[in-house]
Amino acid sequence: MLHPSEMPARLAAFLAAEVPGAGEVAVHSYEVMTGGYSRLLARAEVSWRAGGDEQRRTFVLRGDPPPERTLIFTDRRTEFEVVRAMAANGVLTPDAHHFDDGGRLATPTILLDFSPATSLLVDLAGRVAPVELTRPLAEAAASFHRIPLTELPARLERPASAEAYLTDRIDEWRRTAAAHVEALPILQYVAAWLDAHRPAPVPLSLIHGDFQSSNLMVTADDRIVVLDWELAQIGDPREDLGYFKAVAQAAPPDLIGLDESAFCTRYNELMGFSDEQVNPAVIAYFLILGVIGTVRRLLEAGAAFSRGENTSLNAVFNARNVMFGQSMWLQFSEQLEQAFAAAKEA
Amino acid sequence: MYVRPSTEQIIEGACRELDEQVLPLLDAGSPASVLVQQMVQLLRGCAVRAAHEIAWMHEETAAIVEAVAGIDDDATAAALAAYRAAPAGGLHLDEVAHRYDLASQALGAAVEAAYRSGDVAQQESLRALLRARSANEMAVVGALELVGRG
Repeated sequence: MLHPSEMPARLAAFLAAEVPGAGEVAVHSYEVMTGGYSRLLARAEVSWRAGGDEQRRTFVLRGDPPPERTLIFTDRRTEFEVVRAMAANGVLTPDAHHFDDGGRLATPTILLDFSPATSLLVDLAGRVAPVELTRPLAEAAASFHRIPLTELPARLERPASAEAYLTDRIDEWRRTAAAHVEALPILQYVAAWLDAHRPAPVPLSLIHGDFQSSNLMVTADDRIVVLDWELAQIGDPREDLGYFKAVAQAAPPDLIGLDESAFCTRYNELMGFSDEQVNPAVIAYFLILGVIGTVRRLLEAGAAFSRGENTSLNAVFNARNVMFGQSMWLQFSEQLEQAFAAAKEA
Repeated sequence: MYVRPSTEQIIEGACRELDEQVLPLLDAGSPASVLVQQMVQLLRGCAVRAAHEIAWMHEETAAIVEAVAGIDDDATAAALAAYRAAPAGGLHLDEVAHRYDLASQALGAAVEAAYRSGDVAQQESLRALLRARSANEMAVVGALELVGRG
């Protein structure tokens, strides 16, 4: 993927070795795709003969950029295993078929099904009533949040408890502040504020980690397809809901906010959660908490640029999102404080 | 030295040329087009910074020092002492940024202390400083366009 001109030959040799009984492997096209934030993406049309029949497939290749252009260091094998687990548990996502550690495709790469669904962002641009997708969004989130932990890849770290996880996640704001190249008191504010307003706990589950419109697609019958599992981990499922809402503030529409009551009702119904565990105020709490993983990675990439360790302008460009985020954290934390105070008085 | 046109004006002029002369030559959605759009947004932020950042850091620093001076907290006091020990007065960007960084460390410590103690008035006065800081940063960011995604 690092050298697109070499890829057809590399891919043909890779598939010839990977697909049992495959012969006459041909790569008919190989196109670099845009839209990948942290990974290199390409689309390949391939065919091979197996048992006398011709098989034609369209794969999406998702691989690591070179280290000096890398914004986020994540593990392709873990992502491959997560995608397999999602597909096996009925989550609507393009299944992963092959993984290469970089030995044959020049960089760690996953081969996924190409999805014919429409990008959610493209769909929303032409949709008259986006609120139609609020319930499907709740169903998409619940589809992977409710998978038992025992079904998830063993290489995903299991936190000791939901409470310990939340504490660690809050402390991640402080650790991020301490590790950055300049003082960012907003991060300490957020940590202190989150600590002071903890919500009722829910059980740990798989979280997507980058659950936002640009990682979603829509099928013709309005079901949501989830893409890009590189940041998946075990955590508090409400982080994904808050994260979605957070990104939607910068890139509307906010499908949750269009009908928060319908979203929470459907989500709680599928997850078996109470109104106390998931409601609009709790989602707003996680709008703040749920972005720390991304905030840390964006700041690390920006810091690496400032130290001269990363040459990707993308790192600086995306670090600006943190500035937008902090205005939102301030706004939501103040609104929530008022809501909590009003509830206490009542 | 010549200071007219200003740095801000020159950068804005470069952005205009990139927008009007370079972007139309590139395929919409191509990696090169996305990169140029990102560069334009970053350069516009640089123009704002060139015009204001030294003044903003100076103003914010003064407000922080005044707000945290009376806070009874060891970490805040230590950070404030480090700020006061730093060389004062230099107006080169690195000098101002260094003092701003030290003052910001004191603000971070003060915020944590305010939440530990539950002092709501103090929390609010420190949050006002963060709001002012955020307002300046949003002026740098401008209209956030997430080019190149999805």
